[in-house]
Amino acid sequence: MAAIIEVKDLVKVFDKTIRAVDGINFEVQEGEIFGFLGPNGAGKSTTINMLVTLLKPTSGTALIMGHDVAKEPDKIRHIIGLVPQDLTVDDDLSGRENMILQSDLYNVPKQEAKERIDNLLGLVKLEDAADRMVKTYSGGMRKRLELAEGLIHRPSILFLDEPTLGLDIQTRSTMWAHIKELKEKHDMTVFMTTHYLDEADSLCDRIGIIDHGRIMALDAPSTLKKSLGGDVLQITVGGDKDFTTILSAVANVVEVKKEGSEYRVKVLKGEREMSHVLKSISDNGGEVSSVSLQRPNLDQVFLEYTGKSLRDAEQSGSMDRGQRMAQAHQSRRRQ
Amino acid sequence: MIRETSALTVRELKHWYRIKIQMFMTLIQPIVWLGLFGQAFNFGAFIPPEQIPIYFAGAPDYFSFLAVGMLGVITLFTCMFGGISLIWDRRFGFLTKLRVAPIPRGSVPVSRISSTMVRALFQAVIVFLIALGFNYIPGLTGLTVGSSFNALDLIGLFVTLALLALGFAGIFISIGLLVENQETMFALVNLLNLPIMFASAALFPLAQMPTWLQTVAKYNPLTWAVDAARVFVFQNPNPIHPVWWSMTALALFAVLMIGVSVYAARKKLSAT
Repeated sequence: MAAIIEVKDLVKVFDKTIRAVDGINFEVQEGEIFGFLGPNGAGKSTTINMLVTLLKPTSGTALIMGHDVAKEPDKIRHIIGLVPQDLTVDDDLSGRENMILQSDLYNVPKQEAKERIDNLLGLVKLEDAADRMVKTYSGGMRKRLELAEGLIHRPSILFLDEPTLGLDIQTRSTMWAHIKELKEKHDMTVFMTTHYLDEADSLCDRIGIIDHGRIMALDAPSTLKKSLGGDVLQITVGGDKDFTTILSAVANVVEVKKEGSEYRVKVLKGEREMSHVLKSISDNGGEVSSVSLQRPNLDQVFLEYTGKSLRDAEQSGSMDRGQRMAQAHQSRRRQ
Repeated sequence: MIRETSALTVRELKHWYRIKIQMFMTLIQPIVWLGLFGQAFNFGAFIPPEQIPIYFAGAPDYFSFLAVGMLGVITLFTCMFGGISLIWDRRFGFLTKLRVAPIPRGSVPVSRISSTMVRALFQAVIVFLIALGFNYIPGLTGLTVGSSFNALDLIGLFVTLALLALGFAGIFISIGLLVENQETMFALVNLLNLPIMFASAALFPLAQMPTWLQTVAKYNPLTWAVDAARVFVFQNPNPIHPVWWSMTALALFAVLMIGVSVYAARKKLSAT
């Protein structure tokens, strides 16, 4: 396996002050599904837009199959496919006409285009709706058409920007099935962004956790989960007494973090040690008001590496962005 | 280059003829213009009949004069909508698709200019036929063409309008590319449209305008087009510019504006 995407110190600054992507480094191997996981405004789409030649990097380099995105955009446009976050299909054409237009834009030989269009429409289960105007399509159908369009020229790398955003659960799992099928059948490299943990977990071979334009962690989902080093006991204790030292002394406890009256106790073999942990609190005069055992999942990985849960990050992330925008606005006015 | 440009041209034209209301407006608008203004503003009534052709570029009455001017005005308006459609495509994401596609940036404006030209010519044909048809409706004045009007003149007329359409479409599509905000676009289009229409020989003879306005109007491409058109339709012996001059100026104007639009596309549709 060779690196098909190589990103070095990539930076994108908007309006001179907003560092949307803040010096990221990563490689994507040929044939893998690589995912960027992060809250809205973390820099996922900005990264993808630089890779697909829509945005110019402020500094740093990004190579796709050896071609620099800033210097050889035309070469790159031939070898990549993009399913953007916002739909780009034409409402006033039929599904098939959209596909034909796409095949013309990518200069797919006419004879071959017809066959590929039929195959792709079949793949995304749109053959029955192919000759209907796209404006009669549902959101999920449009997204599937968009996916089929992105594949018309048999790209080496497919970029999916939030492929299931705004889709219902059933449609989401169909999209996942399509993406998996693509990877297996055509040995395609897929680069995707998502802010759904389960999506990253079930689809991606490797994921990069991105927040505030920086990559906080990058590995296979299973390795990331393993790196947590055990299960997490979340315990709420009444009273003002600090149990941190007491908890740390219990056997098999790896780490204790206190947030208000809540303790996050990282412990090996959680089920078995739970009783010992709880006993140590009650023995020392504490009253446990709630307890939960969490198996490692990506949400905890996210929490581990960014210091906040993905849901919190989602809220504060958008606030940060708003604040940054306001700052940028003010600084512009001062000038 | 040719394949994607023609594919995009066809896409534009499909948009146009599929939207029934747009088609309807296309037909109804010239009827209203010719029916209301053409019949109401009978400026010919103030002039001794034998002098009418001298005042109105060889036309036997004001309606005929206006009908030919209207061919130019309708071209101007169609081109304006060509620029606005670009704003919608940016808004609805279609432009993103084109920006990611491995196509020369210039194919975007060129395809739009050519589809806009087809639309403009189609409209002009309709206006021309309606104006002629008014002759057969009792109580209405119709377009009376010059006595030696022939097929060659007809071709000359539509070549003139085609050149005008290429130039104007180039202007408005360049504006659509450069101005990303739709409110600004509408404001700019309005700001340009009315002066171009009124500061020209399209609706009123140049000779009756104040000198400063005449000077402006003489260099308005719409004046060049309607001036040449009236030579073709009425064999106007005293045009503002000689026909060859107007046609050359229009051709240069078209080439220049297509060039500007391709430049604008390279600037605005590449990575930013």
